Amino acid sequence: MSITARNITKRFGSFTALDNVTLEAPAGSLLALLGPSGSGKTTLLRIIAGLEVADSGSVHYQADEVTHHSARDRNVGFVFQHYALFRHMTVFENVAFGLRVRYWPEKKVRERVHELLHLVRMDELSGKYPSQLSGGQRQRVALVRALAASPKVLLLDEPFGALDAKVRQELRTWLRKLHDEIHITSIFVTHDQEEAFEVADQVVVMRSGRIEQAGTPMEVFEHPANAFVLDFLGNVNVFNVSVQNGMAKLGSMAMPYPEYPHSESRDASVYVRPHELRIDRFANGASSLQAKIVHITPAGSVVKVRLRADEFGLLLNVDVAASEFAELKLQSGDVVYVSPRRLRLFVPDYAI
Amino acid sequence: MRIDLDPPPATSDDVHHHPVVPPPQAPVAPSRRDPWWVRWGLTTLALLVLTVLVIIPVISVFYNALAAGVHRYFANLFLDPDTRHSILLTLAVAPTAVLCNLIFGVSAAWAIARFRFPFRTTLITFIDMPFSISPVVAGLLFVLIFGQQGYLGPWLKEHGISILFSPPGLVIATTFVTLPFVARELIPVMEAIGPDEELAAISLGARAWQVWWKITLPNIRWGLLYGVILCNARAMGEFGAVSVISGHISGQTDTMPLRVEKAFQEFNLSGSFAVASVLTMLAVATLLLKVTIERKARKQLAEARDSVK
Repeated sequence: MSITARNITKRFGSFTALDNVTLEAPAGSLLALLGPSGSGKTTLLRIIAGLEVADSGSVHYQADEVTHHSARDRNVGFVFQHYALFRHMTVFENVAFGLRVRYWPEKKVRERVHELLHLVRMDELSGKYPSQLSGGQRQRVALVRALAASPKVLLLDEPFGALDAKVRQELRTWLRKLHDEIHITSIFVTHDQEEAFEVADQVVVMRSGRIEQAGTPMEVFEHPANAFVLDFLGNVNVFNVSVQNGMAKLGSMAMPYPEYPHSESRDASVYVRPHELRIDRFANGASSLQAKIVHITPAGSVVKVRLRADEFGLLLNVDVAASEFAELKLQSGDVVYVSPRRLRLFVPDYAI
Repeated sequence: MRIDLDPPPATSDDVHHHPVVPPPQAPVAPSRRDPWWVRWGLTTLALLVLTVLVIIPVISVFYNALAAGVHRYFANLFLDPDTRHSILLTLAVAPTAVLCNLIFGVSAAWAIARFRFPFRTTLITFIDMPFSISPVVAGLLFVLIFGQQGYLGPWLKEHGISILFSPPGLVIATTFVTLPFVARELIPVMEAIGPDEELAAISLGARAWQVWWKITLPNIRWGLLYGVILCNARAMGEFGAVSVISGHISGQTDTMPLRVEKAFQEFNLSGSFAVASVLTMLAVATLLLKVTIERKARKQLAEARDSVK
């Protein structure tokens, strides 16, 4: 069942949480809404669930318009950030709740609940109360509770935000595996880029109530639509350059940039990822920058090298492949030359 | 700094549950406690004040009630028709007022805790108002509204409804004076618990009454009970507002507190103390109940506050 939210606008007083946002999640996909706090991602999720009402716009599940249906009628599975388990009910009763309010016969309720608890390896804990469970256990109960009545759509609001790193990792993997098995259309909200990339088929990057870019993790990472997306996803080095006549200049360095052939000089920002810079012992033409190594951090298959380019007072982060590092025999204090393998340049628009 | 690329094999997080052993407590150094004479002095002062203002009067109530003998005591309570009526009237008026405030308090608390609406602050202020108005003034308010010269007076007379000088008026006055108790107790509890559980229930397919019955009510039950007990205690002991509105008609509109005053004015000391002793026993019973429930109510509120991090 596909989910479509069209032209959604939502204001809280004078604050615009969502500004004419359109989102499409294909049936059976796992989509991540990614963005910083205040970007509107949770509000959008709640509108899709029916827990909030948009000021304008429509929500569709497959061909049905559900904009004016309550959350009850939409048959969604919603997982809250702080679990929202019913504190005075046991784990069993929590999971059974969605079935009991639909008046399922007792035997079927028992079967289904035990099936679900078995899925998350929590069979022995069915008699415990939420206050007796750890964070990871509570979240697993919240997940199967949402799935109990076989919803068409699964919506998760920062489901792993309140958990330890290791438990988060486990549950991320589990969610991906679950989705691969039951193919329920799912949307989850997160501010953690790594989580979005690891779990989702589609990533939607949001900022200040608007969608900045939507695509697969690879697309969004390799071809960011603008400076914000590039900066938000992963580490990046930023240089302030000026562009003129098809060249980008930073002091004595120059790199070709044919996309700007005009003679009027403009300021722009160059973004280079740490693995897109190379270090050489000798200058490599006009696009090399001299820098001194300040710190070396081994990190498995790459070595993270931090350098300072005194000429511009810039601090650079470069990821060097372990094999290259061994060849170059770099040491802290060495003066080397850094050049970009690839760069992205964004010219800020002028306000007219 | 090494980062493991292959995460360790997945184990359930509950395997690593070690009980936490708190560090041994160091004894409090003598210099950090108040000097003994401060502690003993303050405690003695408190006990003295308590004895003079509370314990001695309470004891004297029972002493005076039983002074003419146990037989006379029970005669006062059960053989005197006016006294009998006053006891029954209080036992009818107070629970009725409590029921009205239960319905109002729960509705108001739910609206205030869960929604933002125009005049919300006004409603909160209005709920607190009965605390600041003198009960006599409150009684006068109702006389002005329902009395013969009042706003609604003629209309009520036309329809043969009597509010003043009759039980309905007593209920209204008592309800007004005890208005805040249930609502004030519930608003913090409902705000601390938060709407998430109720929203979760809705998303799982529950209808409004199912949410109310299965989720909201169980979460607020101790706070609710506590509010009801306080409300009842106040309702049974209310004098000022009821006095103004009742007209003091013996055998018809005298509640127990009014009966105490009436008997006292008629120089029926043993009678008045007898009724007073019943009120005192009710107060003691309320206190015991309150202490038991209060712990549970505070615990429920603290748990609610802790669980939302």
